[in-house]
Amino acid sequence: MAAFILRRVLHALPLLLAVVVLNFLLIAFTPGDPITLLVGDFPAPPEYLAQMRSEYGLDQPVWVQLGHYLWKVLHGDFGYSFAAQQPVSSLILDRLGATLELTLTALLFASVVGIALGVIAAMRAGKPLDGGIQALGSIGYSVPDFWLGQLLILAFAIGLGWLPSQGYNPIRGAAPGWEGFVQHLHYLVLPAFALSLRYLTLITRITRAAMLEVLHADYILASRARGAGEWTVIVGHALRNAGAPVLTVIGYNVGFVLAGSALVETVFGWPGIGRLLYESISKRDYPVMLAILLMVSATVVVANLLTDVLHRWLDPRVERA
Amino acid sequence: MPNQVPFPDFQPTINRRRVMGSALALAGGLAAPPLWAAGGKGTAVLAIDADPPTLNLGTTSDFAAGDISAKILEGLVWLDKDYNPKPALATAWTVSPDGKTYRFTLRRGVKWHDGREFTSADVRYSLMEIVGKLHPRAAPVFKNLGVEVDAPDAGTVVVRLQKPYAPFLAQMTVFDAPILPRHIYEGPAVVTNPANQRPVGTGPFKFGEWKRGTSITLVRNEQYWDAGKPYLEAIIFQIIPQAANRVPALQAGEVDELLDFYTPKPEVPRILADKKLYARRGVNIPAVYFMMFNVRSPLFANKDARHALAFAIDRPRLVKQVMNGLARPGYGAFGDGFKWLLNEEASYAKKYPFDPAKAKALLAKAGVKPDTVTLRMPFDAARAQMRGQAQIIQENLRAIGLEVSLQPLERSVYYDRVFAKHDFDVTLGSYFSAGDPAIGYTRLYSTYTGTSPNTNASGYANPKVDELLSQGATLSDRAARAKAYRELQAILNEDLPTLVLFDEETVDTASLKLQNVFPALDARDQWAGVKMVG
Repeated sequence: MAAFILRRVLHALPLLLAVVVLNFLLIAFTPGDPITLLVGDFPAPPEYLAQMRSEYGLDQPVWVQLGHYLWKVLHGDFGYSFAAQQPVSSLILDRLGATLELTLTALLFASVVGIALGVIAAMRAGKPLDGGIQALGSIGYSVPDFWLGQLLILAFAIGLGWLPSQGYNPIRGAAPGWEGFVQHLHYLVLPAFALSLRYLTLITRITRAAMLEVLHADYILASRARGAGEWTVIVGHALRNAGAPVLTVIGYNVGFVLAGSALVETVFGWPGIGRLLYESISKRDYPVMLAILLMVSATVVVANLLTDVLHRWLDPRVERA
Repeated sequence: MPNQVPFPDFQPTINRRRVMGSALALAGGLAAPPLWAAGGKGTAVLAIDADPPTLNLGTTSDFAAGDISAKILEGLVWLDKDYNPKPALATAWTVSPDGKTYRFTLRRGVKWHDGREFTSADVRYSLMEIVGKLHPRAAPVFKNLGVEVDAPDAGTVVVRLQKPYAPFLAQMTVFDAPILPRHIYEGPAVVTNPANQRPVGTGPFKFGEWKRGTSITLVRNEQYWDAGKPYLEAIIFQIIPQAANRVPALQAGEVDELLDFYTPKPEVPRILADKKLYARRGVNIPAVYFMMFNVRSPLFANKDARHALAFAIDRPRLVKQVMNGLARPGYGAFGDGFKWLLNEEASYAKKYPFDPAKAKALLAKAGVKPDTVTLRMPFDAARAQMRGQAQIIQENLRAIGLEVSLQPLERSVYYDRVFAKHDFDVTLGSYFSAGDPAIGYTRLYSTYTGTSPNTNASGYANPKVDELLSQGATLSDRAARAKAYRELQAILNEDLPTLVLFDEETVDTASLKLQNVFPALDARDQWAGVKMVG
């Protein structure tokens, strides 16, 4: 197992390097100039523009910039944000918690509810309940999350007034202690739901398919024949065996959830990495863009690695594959 | 979790939860002594759209930066609703008869937020080393005027210009010439000084805390020179990135003020109908929306073709459908915001009434066969009203046999395409005048061959126009200035390098709980006197 993990890590390193270089070059050759955006809407004196450009190293040739950048990244320095005028790492650390909270909640919700719905649908295969779950799933899977977000705001924040439309905590300050925590959860509900729906329906579909496959397997029949309870049969035997593909889907989607948070966080004014990415793109804040893209790539790589390890643990036959 | 930095709760309303909150915070030793003072009452929440790049107003004209910093920093003067300069850090001033020397008497007993005394050395340093070199709007003007600043004593500043400049005082506001502390900025590079993120000023509010992506909080300056003021204990600038969410937040009372800049126009009628809100209309810094012709392109090198478009575009319809009626159809080269300079004879209403048949005839005269030409029209995709205008214009021009290819671009790409590469046929833009036509609008028409954003991209160059623009800016007598501007309108409305589509009417809104909220020309200014009731 250790060798397996080591091999995967060694594979991941050049991949990450390629990601950094590719991202850097893509961004360097995108039209648009961060300095013009930075100075605002009036024509700035050329000396000022030149000063800013040299301040941020933008007057150097691209390969020199790339070399500097790689060297710094190797030393854990992700540079200095043009737009926020502070180190990128502190900018990201400031926002990381909010994004982890949102994405992990969304993933957890999508996994738990998705698996439950998938199991129910499989057990009622061909019945109206199954049809209903599948129909809702198709809709949920095709609705873009930012649009869903707007609809949720219209319905639950503006229409019914049940939940806040945007933000992280009440504007005028959160209450202390437990009450503040509950207040905060109100702010989490809509964005987490908007972010999770697509994955929820995906997980439902995969779970249903995987369950249908194993429900007809001999060992399930045997287990039933032995008189095992329905709970034991479904959760103990069927789900355990259907779990591998479901887990794979969840693991492979971690990166998408993280990337998807850009739009959801923007719609709901959630102060996370996703919104930071969105803002940094519109401001051409290269160091921030690069650092976030690298972070998302690294998360995808790590999530895939963990998925493979877990997969192997669930199903030892994978080793040979 | 981020954003959980212990921070005192500014909510003035006393209820059990809040009292407990403060008590707990104090008991836990989390909070520093309360940042607010006994003299202030109420916390105002103001909506902004994003984190500003910096809070140093000496190096940016960013709108949100101005909104926040104008409450921390001060200028020598501020402008009232009628464009009159009023005392701020300067209590009085005299202008020499030739209009080239300004002598300012500074307010005494003013302290910086860190306790240091404010003196003329700060003013001299700010104007010469920061504003005059780095301010995107003021630096070019200062350079052009050859500004020299002397500080003969701690309470006096003398500014010498090489040539007179009529709007000079109007440009001495916090937005164009903020006074910054020399003792903090002298030495390290200005643009990377940490004080840009935690500004130290002389203004009514002190910088409190910046929760990136969420909010920026200012707290009452207890040592403010205008004793007893400010009345508010704190101001929170809440970042609401989605325009669509700002109006509900205002109507729900989560936000107390929403400036026109952040307000989606289609929502304005809803705001105006809300009895809990106060809206200020009509008092604003004149701003024009326009279409720029690329006169380098073979088609628009011909004046008849430009005239054809002026006849073909239904400006009243743009006002009605794009601006929800909150604008006035284009009047002419300098808009209709400055009543003292209007030239009715040259107005668009007289010269270019909506007339598609006439437009077609002019196009034919210009040698354009119907349905053979496609115009490239790039515009800033982030601005919804640009898209709306572009679509109506496309329809108007199709009716006279011109196809328009709409090219919505991201802002930085748009700047590059239009202002650096000049790769367009027509484009849309808007400028505001900053209180004087010479400050904002001149760059639309004066000869310019550079590539800075938001400067004459049409390629229009006319020495007579340059001369008159210079007269308009430098003559100190308003009647003489008006004469220059009237002549300019006659030339520019005929040459038409740029077609002004409409004059914007801004609507700034606030909760009725805020009193005396818009005393100044610029709604972001003069918050010392704002009170909160109820």
